[in-house]
Amino acid sequence: MKTSIWLREIRRRANSWFIITMLGALVIIMPVAYVVLSFFQPTGENWEHIKEFLLADYVKGSVILVGSVGFLSTTIGLVLAWIVAAYEFPLRKQFKWLLIIPLAIPPYIAAYTYSTMTSYTGVIQSLFRNYFDYQFTPGTIEIMSLRGAVFVLTLFLYPYVYMIALNYFEKQSASYIESAKTLGLNGFQMFFRLGLPIARPAIIAGSMLVIFEVLSDYGVASFFGVRTISTAIFQTWFGMYDINAAMRLAAWLLVIILGIFMLERFLRKGRKYDTNVTQSRPLARKKLRGWTAWLAFLSCSIVFFSAFLIPFVQLIYWSLKTYEKVWRADFITLITNSLVAALIGALIISFFAILAARTINLYPSASSNLLARIMTSGYAVPGAVVAIGVLALFITLDEKLAFIYPKLLGVESGSLVLSMSIAMLITGYVIRFMAQGFNSVESGYTKVPPSYREASFLLGRSMTYTFWKVEFPLLRGSILIGFALAFLEIMKELPLTLLLRPFNFDTLATRTYQYAIDERIYEAAPSSLLLICLSILSVIIILRFEEK
Amino acid sequence: MKKFLWVFALLMLAAVLSACNSSSDKEEQKDESVKEETPAEDTTDATEDEKTGGEVNVYTARHYDVDTVLYEDFTEKTGIKVNVIEAKAPELIERLKREGQNSPADLFITVDGGILNTAKEEGLLQSIESEEIDKAVPAELRDTDNEWIGLSTRARVIVYSKDRVKPEELSTYEDLATDKWKDKLLVRSSDSLYNQSLMASLIAIDGEDKAKEWAQGIVNNLAREPEGGDRDQARAIVAGVGDVAIMNSYYVGHMSVSDEAEDVKVFDQIGVFFPNQETTGTHINISGAGLIKHSKNKENAVKLIEYLTTVEAQEQFTAENFEFPVNKEAKLPDVMAEWGTFKPQEVDFADYGKYNPKAVELMNEVGWK
Amino acid sequence: MFVDIQNLSFQYSKKQQPVIDRFSFTIKKGEIVGIVGASGSGKSTLLRLLAGLEDPTAGSIELDGRLIVGDNTYIEAEKRGVGMVFQNYALFPHLTVSENICFGLHKMKRPEKKKRLNEMLELVQLQEFAKRYPHELSGGQQQRVALARALAPSPSILLMDEPFSNLDTNLKSLIRMEVRDILQKANSTCLFVSHDQADVDAICDRIIYIDCATYIGSDKESIPV
Repeated sequence: MKTSIWLREIRRRANSWFIITMLGALVIIMPVAYVVLSFFQPTGENWEHIKEFLLADYVKGSVILVGSVGFLSTTIGLVLAWIVAAYEFPLRKQFKWLLIIPLAIPPYIAAYTYSTMTSYTGVIQSLFRNYFDYQFTPGTIEIMSLRGAVFVLTLFLYPYVYMIALNYFEKQSASYIESAKTLGLNGFQMFFRLGLPIARPAIIAGSMLVIFEVLSDYGVASFFGVRTISTAIFQTWFGMYDINAAMRLAAWLLVIILGIFMLERFLRKGRKYDTNVTQSRPLARKKLRGWTAWLAFLSCSIVFFSAFLIPFVQLIYWSLKTYEKVWRADFITLITNSLVAALIGALIISFFAILAARTINLYPSASSNLLARIMTSGYAVPGAVVAIGVLALFITLDEKLAFIYPKLLGVESGSLVLSMSIAMLITGYVIRFMAQGFNSVESGYTKVPPSYREASFLLGRSMTYTFWKVEFPLLRGSILIGFALAFLEIMKELPLTLLLRPFNFDTLATRTYQYAIDERIYEAAPSSLLLICLSILSVIIILRFEEK
Repeated sequence: MKKFLWVFALLMLAAVLSACNSSSDKEEQKDESVKEETPAEDTTDATEDEKTGGEVNVYTARHYDVDTVLYEDFTEKTGIKVNVIEAKAPELIERLKREGQNSPADLFITVDGGILNTAKEEGLLQSIESEEIDKAVPAELRDTDNEWIGLSTRARVIVYSKDRVKPEELSTYEDLATDKWKDKLLVRSSDSLYNQSLMASLIAIDGEDKAKEWAQGIVNNLAREPEGGDRDQARAIVAGVGDVAIMNSYYVGHMSVSDEAEDVKVFDQIGVFFPNQETTGTHINISGAGLIKHSKNKENAVKLIEYLTTVEAQEQFTAENFEFPVNKEAKLPDVMAEWGTFKPQEVDFADYGKYNPKAVELMNEVGWK
Repeated sequence: MFVDIQNLSFQYSKKQQPVIDRFSFTIKKGEIVGIVGASGSGKSTLLRLLAGLEDPTAGSIELDGRLIVGDNTYIEAEKRGVGMVFQNYALFPHLTVSENICFGLHKMKRPEKKKRLNEMLELVQLQEFAKRYPHELSGGQQQRVALARALAPSPSILLMDEPFSNLDTNLKSLIRMEVRDILQKANSTCLFVSHDQADVDAICDRIIYIDCATYIGSDKESIPV
C-alpha cells in the first residue's frame, strides 16, 4: 500500500471517538500492565518456596473451585432460565425477577451468614438441640470448607448465567421451539437438543463471568479456608511480606485468564449468531399442569429460598438484636458514600464500555479484540492487586503534577492530591468492573447489525447522530443492564475500597467488613442488610428505565 | 460529535472537581455529611476546628468500635480532628511506602508486633519523645527506639472443654503437640496472623528445627482440618469435635457478652488456660501505634498516643474489647480479672516480623492448612 | 461519464488474494446497470467501495465529476450522496415507516420534509402503513420501505445489493416490476447487484459479468475497460 493511502487511513480513523477510547483504554490498561511487569522483577527465594510447596496445591484448589462452581451455577442458571422462558406455571412472572435478586447479596456476607447459621451455635443446630434434643454429628450440616465455598459461590453467582440465558431464550428461540414442537420433541428433548445449543453463546458469556468472579474471589475462599491462587497471592503478601512474589502470582493469574479468553474465542470460532431482529417475536409458553407445574414451582422456590430468603431473614433477625448497639449517626454518610461512589463509577464504566464496544464493532480485528480483553481483565484479578496498580499510577501522577498543585489549588508543595481523592477509588472501580458494563454492551451490539449504521451514514448522517438515533435506542436495554451490574458490584466491593479510599470514607461494605473480620457476625448484620436492600432498590429503579 | 464531547468534558471536570474538593479540604467532606443530620452542631465543630486548627491523620489496621469512640473523645478533649483510613496492615504499609515523603499519614496503628517492626525496618517510622508515654507504658511494650508504642496486648491461650479436660492435664504449647492430644486438638488455619506470630515466637525461642517439629505435632493431632475463625474453635469444642483449642483471649471475652445466647452457653462450657507458665511464658501479641517519619502533625500525633495510653482510655480498651491494657494502672473487666495474672513470653516483638516468613514457610511445609 | 472507476483494487487482508484487482468501469447518468457474478466474486464489495463503506487499496472513483476516492482523497460515506438498499434492508426496528423514510431528510425544513415523505409513500404505495413498525410489515413491504428510504434524499446514484434475495419466488417477479417502475419514475442512476440473472434481465439496461472482480464482459452493450 502506498504511504499516501496509509496517511489517508489514519486521518479517517483518528476522530474524537477513537481518541477518547484510546485514552480511556490507556488509563485502564496501565495498572494491569503494572502487574504484568512484575514478571521482569528478579525472583526471590520466596518464589522458589511457593513453587515447591504451594503452587500445585493452590492451582488444584482453584481448578476444583472454578470447575465445580462453574458447572453447578451454569446448570442451575440454565435450567431455571429454560423453565421460566418456556413454561407457564404458578408465580412464573414473579420468579422471573426474584431469581435475579441473589446478585444483591455479597458472597462474603452470604458465606458468614450461612456458616454461622449451620454452626454449632447457629439457628439450625440449636433448634434441634434445644427443642428436639437431637445432636447432629459434627460436620454433617455445617456449611464449611470446600463444600461451603462451592455452595455459597454457586448460589450467589448462578444469576449471571440465568440472566443472560433467559434473555436468549426469550428473544431468540421462538421460531426454533415452535418448529421443534411440530417435530414432536418432548420437553426434555427440547431442552437438550434445542435449548442447550441455542444458548451456547449465553452459556459461554455467563459462565465466563462466573469463572472470573471465582478466580478473583478472596473473601469467600479465605473464609472457608480453600486454597486458591487468589488466597496464595495474599498469603505471599501478608504472610511472607513479599509483594513482588505476590504480584508475580497475580501476573500468572492474568496469563491464565487470557488463556481462557483464547479458549473462548476458539470455541466460538466459525459460529455466528446473528439474528434477524426484525423477525424475532416472543415465545408462546407451554402451560404446565399437575405435578410438572409443581416441579417447576418447587425448583424456583428452592433456589430462591436458599439463595436469598433464608440468609435475608437471618440477617433481619440478627439486625433486630444488634442495631441499637451498632447504629451510629454516620450510617447516613455510609449510605450516601456507597450510593454516590456506585453511581459515579457505574456511569463512567457505561461510558467507556459503550466507546470500547463500539470501537470493536466498528473496526473488528484481532488487536482491537485483545485490547478489549485487557481492558476488561481487571475483573478476574483480586481487587487488592488492582488496587496496588492504581495506587502506583496515581502516586506517580501526583509526583508528575506536583509542580502545578501549589499554583492551581493553593496546597503545600509535595501534597498528594489525586491519590488522596475519591478519584483514585473511582478509577479502581472502573478498572475492576469494566467487564460488567462492556460485556453487556458488546452483547447488545449483536442486536445492531453493521448495516444499520451503514444505512444511516449513507443517508447522510454523522457518526454521532447515528449513535444517538440508531445504536443507542437499540442498545439501551443492554447499557442499563451493564450499568446495573456495575452498580451492584461497586456497592458490594470491598478490598479495593479498603485500600484506595480517602480519609474518613466509609461505605456499607467497609462497615460490614469491620465487624465480620472480627468474627462479630451479629453486629455486621445491620449494615449488610442495608447494603442488600439498597442494592435491590437501586437495581429496580435502574431497570424501570428499561421498560419505559 | 460535539454533544458527545461536551458530555465527556463535563464528566472529566466533575472528576477533577471532586478530586480537588476532597484533598484541599478534607473536613469539608465530612462536615457535609454531618450537616444532613445536625446542622446546628456543624457550625460549632467548624469554629472549634479553627480555634485549635489541628488534625491528625491515622492509617489503622484496627477495626474495633472502641477505637472510634476513643478518637471521638480525643477530638472532644483537644479539638484535634482525627482522620482515618482503615485497611489491612500490609496494604497500608504498601501505601505508605509508595506515598513516601509526601504521605499525609501521621500515625500507623496496627495489631501484631511483627508488622510494627516491619514498618520500622522499612524506614517508615521515627522515634516518639514523650515522658508521659514513657511513664504510662513499660519499656518492654515499646519499641527499643520508641518508634512505636504498645496500646494493648492479647494472649494466645488454650481453651478446653470443662467436661472432658481437667486443667491439670494442660501445661504448655509444646505439650499440645504430643500424642496425648491425638485427634483432640482444634486450631484455625495457618493463614491467620495469630498462628503465624505464635509460630514465629517459637522459632525465636526453640529454633527452626524444634518449631517445625512442633508444628508437625500440631498438624498430627488435629481433630479436623483447620476451618473457621477463633470462635469457631471454641464452638467446635462444645460440639464435641475436639477437646482443646488454641485461640485468642479476647474472643473468649467477647463470647461472654455475645448477643447470641448460644454463644454465651458455649462460653460457660469452656475453660481458659494460660500455657507455659512454668517455662517460657504465654504467647502474647501487641497492638501499637507508630509515628510516621514524614508526619506533618507530629505534635498532635504524639498527643493522640498519649491519650490512648492514659488509664482512662486503657480501661475503655479492655472493657469493650477484652484486650490487656499496657498501662498497668488500668483495671480489668471481671471476666479477665478472673483469669488472674500470667507470665508472658519474653520475646522481642521484632522477632515476630523477623521470623514471620520462615514461620509461614515451615507451616506450609508440614501441611498446616 | 457519471461514474468513473479507475484501476480499483481491494483486499480484506494482506494475506488474502485481492477481491477486486485493478477494476475499471463507467456508468452514464440515468442508466440502470446490473452486476452479475457468483457469490464471493466481489460484486457486493464493489458497491461498498462506491458507497464509502470500505476503503480501496488502490485506484480512484469519480462520481458526477467529483473525485470521491483517490490517493489523497477520501470522502466519507455520509458526504457522498449515495443511496443504498441493503440485502437485509437494514430498516431501523425502533422507528416507524415514516420515521425511517425521513431519516435521511435532515437538510429539509419540516413542510418540505412532509411533502417529500408523502411523495415517497405514494411512490412505493405504502400510504396506509406510515405509522407501522418494520416488523409489522411483510417482506415485500419492507423491501419497498427500504427503497423509499434510500431514494428520499434524492441520491445521485442508488446502489442495490441483492434486494430480492429475501423474497419468495412468486413475490419476486411482482416486486421486480414494481422496482423497475419506481426507478423509472424516480429517474435515478442505479447500480444493481445480483447473482440471479432473472433479476437483472427484468430491471437493467446493461449487464456486467464479473468473476473475482475482473471484468468479463457485458451482453447488452460493450463498454471500454
